[in-house]
Amino acid sequence: MRTDPTDTGGLFVSRRPGTRPVRYREVPERSQGGRRVVDSIVAGALLVFMGLVAVCFWGPIPMAWLWIGAQVKYHTDSISLFIVVAFLGMLLTLLAGLALMRRIDQFWILVRRAAGHDQRSGAIGPVFAVAAVIGVTLFTIWLVFIAGLQPSLAPSK
Amino acid sequence: MGLLDHYRQYQALSESEVTEELKRVSAERKAKALEKVEPVDLSRTTWPGLPHPYVVNSITYAARRGLNRYADPRATELRAEIAHRHEVEATRVVVGNGIAQLMSSAATVLLEPLDEVVTAWPSYPLYPQLARRARGHAVPVPGFGAERLLAAVNDRTRIVVVCNPNDPTGELMSLEELDHLLGSLPERVVTFLDEALVDYADPERMPDDGSLRLLERHERLLVFRTLSKAWGLAGLRCGYAIGPEDSQALLEQLEPDLGVDELAQAGALEALRSTMPRVAKGIATVRGQRERVVEALRGGPIEVQPSQANVLWMRARGMDGAELARRLELHGVIVAPGGALNQPDYIRASVHLPQHAERLMHALEQETER
Repeated sequence: MRTDPTDTGGLFVSRRPGTRPVRYREVPERSQGGRRVVDSIVAGALLVFMGLVAVCFWGPIPMAWLWIGAQVKYHTDSISLFIVVAFLGMLLTLLAGLALMRRIDQFWILVRRAAGHDQRSGAIGPVFAVAAVIGVTLFTIWLVFIAGLQPSLAPSK
Repeated sequence: MGLLDHYRQYQALSESEVTEELKRVSAERKAKALEKVEPVDLSRTTWPGLPHPYVVNSITYAARRGLNRYADPRATELRAEIAHRHEVEATRVVVGNGIAQLMSSAATVLLEPLDEVVTAWPSYPLYPQLARRARGHAVPVPGFGAERLLAAVNDRTRIVVVCNPNDPTGELMSLEELDHLLGSLPERVVTFLDEALVDYADPERMPDDGSLRLLERHERLLVFRTLSKAWGLAGLRCGYAIGPEDSQALLEQLEPDLGVDELAQAGALEALRSTMPRVAKGIATVRGQRERVVEALRGGPIEVQPSQANVLWMRARGMDGAELARRLELHGVIVAPGGALNQPDYIRASVHLPQHAERLMHALEQETER
């Protein structure tokens, strides 16, 4: 990247975003050899775990809260309570899941650095995007091929 | 180190933490810089500030335009600008590599072997030198004034040099006294009026271009000016001389053989055209600080003469100039001892910026209290 004003038509161009050197409180004691391999495996495991949490947003968590809501309705015979419990629980669980993913993501950055990578940003965005594709695909397969598109309450021929 | 600690050591500082650290480092650097007091050089009469950016730009432009060719040897444009500024004909102006070169050339042209050059003393040390170089004889006259100079003039006197205001004493010869001097000199004598420091004189005592009006009445007068002092362009080595009418033949002999270099011409021209407000501000500062220092030292152990220049000529009772200069240097203030001018009791300190004046006064106060 050219930053010299004589190369940029007189404009001073500062450092490109994200290329600032990482400043540590103290210079870390770099791990070597086997420890780095372990750290790489731990980083990979954390990434997989984040992916699983993200996939849960697109099926297991909503389904779980719908089931819990149904149980509440069965015992109280209140459709309002069913809606409140199911949707509030779903919302709070999604927020808690996001917070958990955020913390895992921060820790993943540190583990990646320990494994010898110049890791500056987290992976939460790509993980969420990939999980969305997987979740929507699985839901579509279930809807079209397993559950069927016909209404379940309508009389069958 | 625990398992989590191993990973926590890779935690980077946050933005706010980085900013705080940068502020702390900057404050420490500033404090260290302030601990060290740079010496201030008051032994020079040149302006301490950097040149105006317009002048630098003009010189850069001239350099890029074509240093491969010779400059205009007659400095036509610059002479025209000077002539316009002083309201004289351009043929009466000659531009040279500073007053020193012009005056030296003039002495070489005018002096015959053993001719005498009369000058007040102490004064600018160049004058005796230029007399010797031109195979003449220097006659330093103790004190400053028309009558003293006239008393030293004889049949062999060819040149009288008047530094006005006088460097190093800051004394000023009024227009009336100059007129009297010029009117009383024999026909053979040519007067060199060195006005390198005249910009600093109070306008009530020396009106702008007042001395140039003398050229209308006195045919054997050359007035020398420079851009090295109040104009702050000493590095350009550019000065000029103005002569009376019909002096063109003499003035042409004062010019450098191939003229003043192009960069000096470009810088001088731009300075005259664009930087007058800044120069005027600097001159006003010098006048104010000069009075301030003289007033502060009045009645104390330091004897200082009233000055019309950017220099103060002073001495301490019971201490020679070299010793006073040495002591001031211990306080980071460098002044010129008068020993080089055969005035061992005196020192010369220049006055420019307020902070320099304060340093000088503080150092003098410290030394005279001891």
